[in-house]
Formats: sequence, C-alpha cells, structure tokens
Amino acid sequence: MKNKKEVNIKLKRGKITGNILTYFVLGISSILVLVPMLWMISTSVKIESETITIPPKWIPDNPTFDSYSRLWTEYPFLTYFKNSIIIVIGAVVLSVFFSCLSGYGITRFKFKGKNSFLTFVLVTQMFPSIMLLIPFYKVLDLYGLKDSLLGMILVYTSFTIPFCTWMMVGFFRTIPLELDEAAIIDGCSRWKAFYKIVLPMTLPGISSVAIYSFITAWNEYMFAQVLITSPELKTVPLGIADLNGFYKILWNDMMAASVIASLPLVILFIFLQKSFISGLTAGAVKQ
Amino acid sequence: MNNRSGTNKTAAFDSRKISLKSLTPYIFIGPALIALIMLVIYPLCYGVFISFFKTNLSNKWDFVALKNYISIFSDKTFISQIWVTLKFTFLVVAAHFVIGVLLGMVLNQKKAGITFFRAVLVLPWLFPEVVVALIFKWIMNPLYGLVNNYLLDAGLINDHISWLGDTRFAFIAVVLVCIWKGYPLVMVNVLAGLQSVSEDIYEAAKMDGANKVQTFFRIVLPSIKPVLTTTLVLDTVWWFKHYTIVYLLTKGGPGSDTSIISIEIYKQAFEYFNFGKAAAMSVIVFFICLVISKLYRRFLDNEE
Repeated sequence: MKNKKEVNIKLKRGKITGNILTYFVLGISSILVLVPMLWMISTSVKIESETITIPPKWIPDNPTFDSYSRLWTEYPFLTYFKNSIIIVIGAVVLSVFFSCLSGYGITRFKFKGKNSFLTFVLVTQMFPSIMLLIPFYKVLDLYGLKDSLLGMILVYTSFTIPFCTWMMVGFFRTIPLELDEAAIIDGCSRWKAFYKIVLPMTLPGISSVAIYSFITAWNEYMFAQVLITSPELKTVPLGIADLNGFYKILWNDMMAASVIASLPLVILFIFLQKSFISGLTAGAVKQ
Repeated sequence: MNNRSGTNKTAAFDSRKISLKSLTPYIFIGPALIALIMLVIYPLCYGVFISFFKTNLSNKWDFVALKNYISIFSDKTFISQIWVTLKFTFLVVAAHFVIGVLLGMVLNQKKAGITFFRAVLVLPWLFPEVVVALIFKWIMNPLYGLVNNYLLDAGLINDHISWLGDTRFAFIAVVLVCIWKGYPLVMVNVLAGLQSVSEDIYEAAKMDGANKVQTFFRIVLPSIKPVLTTTLVLDTVWWFKHYTIVYLLTKGGPGSDTSIISIEIYKQAFEYFNFGKAAAMSVIVFFICLVISKLYRRFLDNEE
C-alpha cells in the first residue's frame, strides 16, 4: 500500500517535471520565433526617426500606418501585387490541372511506360532548380516568353508539377476503383466518371496542391530576379528586395512591405490549416 | 459461315475499341509529360549543352569541350566554395533535425495550449525567404539592430558588431537565420509521422518496462524513419542549392566567407557573363546532389 503511494507520487512528480520541461521548450522556441516577427510589425508602424532610436522601442510613441499607405502611393507595390497575383493564380490553376489529370491516369490505368513515367516524375523533383536557371534564361527566349508573366507562370508550374503529381497520386489511390467502374456501368463516359465522380472526392488533395503551388509562386525570388527585367513586371519579392538596395534603407517601409507580403500566406494558413499540413507532408509520408 | 463473319466483325470492332482505350491513359498523363519535357528536360539538356561552350548566349558560341569543367576543378576557389556549401548545408540540416524532432515530439502531446504553440512554431515556414532575410538583416543591423543593443545592454559585448560583415560571425549568422527559416518542415513531418503511430505501441512498450530513452530509440525513431529519410534527402538538396536568404544577407561576403555555390553560379552567369562556366558548375551541383541522396538512401536503408 505504502509502496504504491510512493510510486504514485514519483509518477506525479515525473509528470510535473515533464510539463515544466515541455512548456519551457515551447516557450523559448516561441519567443525566438515571435521576436523577429513582432519586431517587424513594430518597425512597420513607426515613423522614420523612431526606427533608429537607441535603445530600441517596442511600442512607438506615434504609431502610424503611413508606411503602409506609402507602399501604394510612393512605391509601385500595387503593380507588384497585381503581377504576383496573376502569376500565383496561373501557377495554381495549371498545377491543379496537370497533376489531377496525371494522378488519375496513373492510378486508374495499366499502360506501357507507367513506371518509367513515375520514376521520371520523381527524378525531375530531385533536380536542383539552380540547374535550370541559366537554360531558362535562354529557353524562355526561344519560346518567346522571356520577361513575361506567362513565362513566370510556366516556370513555377514546372517546379510544382512533380511534387503535386506525387501528392495527387497519393490522394487518388485512397479512392476505390469500384467507384469509377460503377459510374461507367451506369453509362458515364471515362471523362464524366473522372470529373463528376472521382475528382470531387479528391478535394483535400486539390487544395493541398493549390496551397503548395501558391506558396512556391508567391515566395520565389531567384528565378524572378533573373527572368524579369521590366520594372512593370516585377513581383512582390523583387519589390521588397529592391527596397534593400536603395542608397538609404527605410526600415519602416521595408518592414511594412514585408508584413503585407507575408499576410496572404498567414491568412491562407489560418483558414486551411489542415490541408496545409497534409499537403506539406503528403509527399514525405506517403512515399 | 454467317455466324463466323459475325464474330470476326465484333472482334475487329473490339480491337479498335481497345486501341482507342489504350490511348486514354496517355491523354491523362500527356499534359504533365509534355510540360515536364518542355520545361524541365529540354532546359536541363540545354544547360548541359551550354556547359561545353564559351558563350554569351546570343551571338558568341565557341565550342570548348571540357575546358569549363577543367578550369573549374583546377581552380582552388571552386573547391573551397563547395566546402563552404557542404559546411553550410550540414550545419543547417543537422540543426533542423535536432530542433524539428524535438519540437515535433513535444508538440505530439495532448496538453493545454498545444494548438497555439503548433501554430506559432510553424510560422517561419510561412514567411517568404525574402522577408525572412530582410527582418534578420534589420535585427542584426550594426547600429540600430536589436541584437547589438541587447548584447551591449547585458554587457556581453563592448562594441557594435557587424554580424554580417565580420568574417568571424557572418557564416554562423547566416546559418542561424537559415535554421530559423527551415526547421518547421522537419517539425511538421515528424509530427505527421508520429500521429500515424498507434498509441498501442507506446502502451505495449511501457508494459514491457521500457524507459523513455529506450522508447525513443527503439519505438519512436524506427516508426518515423521513412518520413525522416525522405525529409532528410529533400531538406539537404533544398539547402545545398539555397540562394535567396544568403544572397540578400551577405551577397556571399565578406570575402567569400558565405559564398555558397548557388550564389557563385549566379555571379558567374549574370555578373561576369561566363554562362558556360556557370552551366558547368550547375551540372556539377546536380551530380553532388545526386551522390548525396544516393548515399543517404544506401546508408539509411541498409541500416535495418
């Protein structure tokens, strides 16, 4: 009896130390994550002179949204956003289109070259994208797409197709083949069975693909830096990086631009948290 | 007679139907296949092609065979850049795994507030690389940055330090920023892997008297090993070819302290216009990535 009590106390004590340790680890890491982000927000609502006070002030004396409004009036961020949005929509639509079709084809049919196609997709995913940088510079020119939004859409789609195809194969596999067969027996054509019956069931997969290509196209910097030369075609990451290059860096404006550029992804995450995570892990867990 | 020709007819009809049917799968995979050939395979081959020339990509094309490769390997700076890149990749990926596995396991508990911490700790992954680079450039600003101010206040340093401009600190500062940006990928994958492990196994291990350390190495780690292996390969290749954050923080400097290979390729191509040499470098990067992922697979698959 006494012994049991001692064990219980020991267990409880272990649990309490475990709890303390857990929250200690979580607390420290959260602070390390949040401090840079809060500092970004804090800087973005300061007037210029307050960004360079010593010691640094977390809460400005005169908080203002001037930096945010300057983004639209004094800098061409409206254009940058428009370009980024067009590119993102294009890349998302094409990625979803390509990967749904090939995902369905791979899981529903037996055909010659199926395994080679799958290996091919996997191998293209392993290519370091830097290898494409120089050729793209020339190849897009040959396609007549150099320095154009359509060119960027295609570039980003080529980044996302391999991984998205893998994701969709994983999602289509979870849907029983009998479903298509039943639909076809009921008089549906292959296409109808595909887009009316099976496709709607892979909606979580489609949203994962959409999110993945959204992030890729919204964040990419290196290829945009090389392939876009006209100022009126620049994307948001290029616009922000430009603020870094000026003779005098206006930190409040730069941080305001950073907040605005990160916002779409954070909002997307809040609303689609579940498919966000499943999309991120689909490739790794299912392979 | 009549009957026979009838069957023949159906057979012929069937075979036509089959050949049409056998085309259907190719219609489904066709678009992706064509896109990949035009946008990945053709450019890749073109890149290899360029690497045999001394060219400005427009009117000057001098075939130099393997000279680009020879000049790369006879040059000590390339070897040292590869070394810097390997060091960078190793430190970043190793830290991602230590932090990612630790946080993934901590977050896998059912405790109050875990959902909040999960949302906060995934944040770095959501932020564009450009934004991450500029936030840290600001925080590490020699005069007005948070880091210097707090360290001076605490008396840990006596003078303003240029973290990104000082050869003693630039490399490690860049590595730390990349660790901050990239660990959530590992964390989320570990978390997803752990959640697919059934509770029963832990219970069974506990009943058999396994302690926490044993449970971790004998139960937890093996059950998430496939996830970890894939993540390891992806993360390594990803950071080996990394460009944006380091370029925006230091542009490869001071000197060539943070001159990782992607930055060097960019400079060779778009600052010195040695497109052939830059293409040759990227072919080499490809082979290094290939070797790394093969080594990983071999090493990790044979371990069992």
